[in-house]
Amino acid sequence: MDMERQLYIPVILGTARKGRASEMAARFMLGEVSKRGGVETELIDICELKLSMEDAGESIKDARFSEQMRRADALVIVVPEYNHGYPGLLKHALDTNLKEYIHKAVGVCGVSAGGFGGTRVVQNLLPVLRELGLVTIFWDMNFSGAQKLFDDAGNLLDRAYVKRADQFLKELIWMARVLRHGRENVSLE
Amino acid sequence: MSDMDKMKCPDCGSEMNHHADKIDYDAAPESEAEAAEVVIEAHTCPDCGRTATRTARAEI
Repeated sequence: MDMERQLYIPVILGTARKGRASEMAARFMLGEVSKRGGVETELIDICELKLSMEDAGESIKDARFSEQMRRADALVIVVPEYNHGYPGLLKHALDTNLKEYIHKAVGVCGVSAGGFGGTRVVQNLLPVLRELGLVTIFWDMNFSGAQKLFDDAGNLLDRAYVKRADQFLKELIWMARVLRHGRENVSLE
Repeated sequence: MSDMDKMKCPDCGSEMNHHADKIDYDAAPESEAEAAEVVIEAHTCPDCGRTATRTARAEI
């Protein structure tokens, strides 16, 4: 297995809502991914993707976003729960690619103001990710009471999330390595 | 798939690994029967990691 080339695991911030607590969760996850040796990461904020609302799907690809998805070995998606579902803009952005996702790993971080940590949005998003060709891991992150989880500077106030993120990322990186090996060496035939 | 069908990496020229077929639901089939016949083949280069795809007809 090729362990020399760095893994590329961007963090997608899946909401454009003003005052979003998900941004702090995404920046926390970005920091945790950044601590991993052999992993390159960056934040992809979907509100910065200037996608057309006049059409949908692959016909409105953002060239930079598509290249980031093509390069990616795995994705961390940070997604808030709005009315038990995922933000429409996140789906709009994800749908602009397809072949770029095939046999890549993905982990989902749910965010909610309430006590369930976005568990419902995670469950709702999983079949979408599967159909896109992504491979989901069985660890999730669940940021509950998100508005109170971070101070005004965005610092995490509950250190238990550090250990959870460690477990989440160990699983995600393992899956990313295995899938890279499979993509490059294990034939479908 | 025979070895003759293997894709060459557009970056380094190595033989690529065919690791997935994905139904292309957006292929705009002319009939309902054709809806699941167009697949996207996913190929990845074992030497540089470059990915590439091509469209094929599924044998169903």
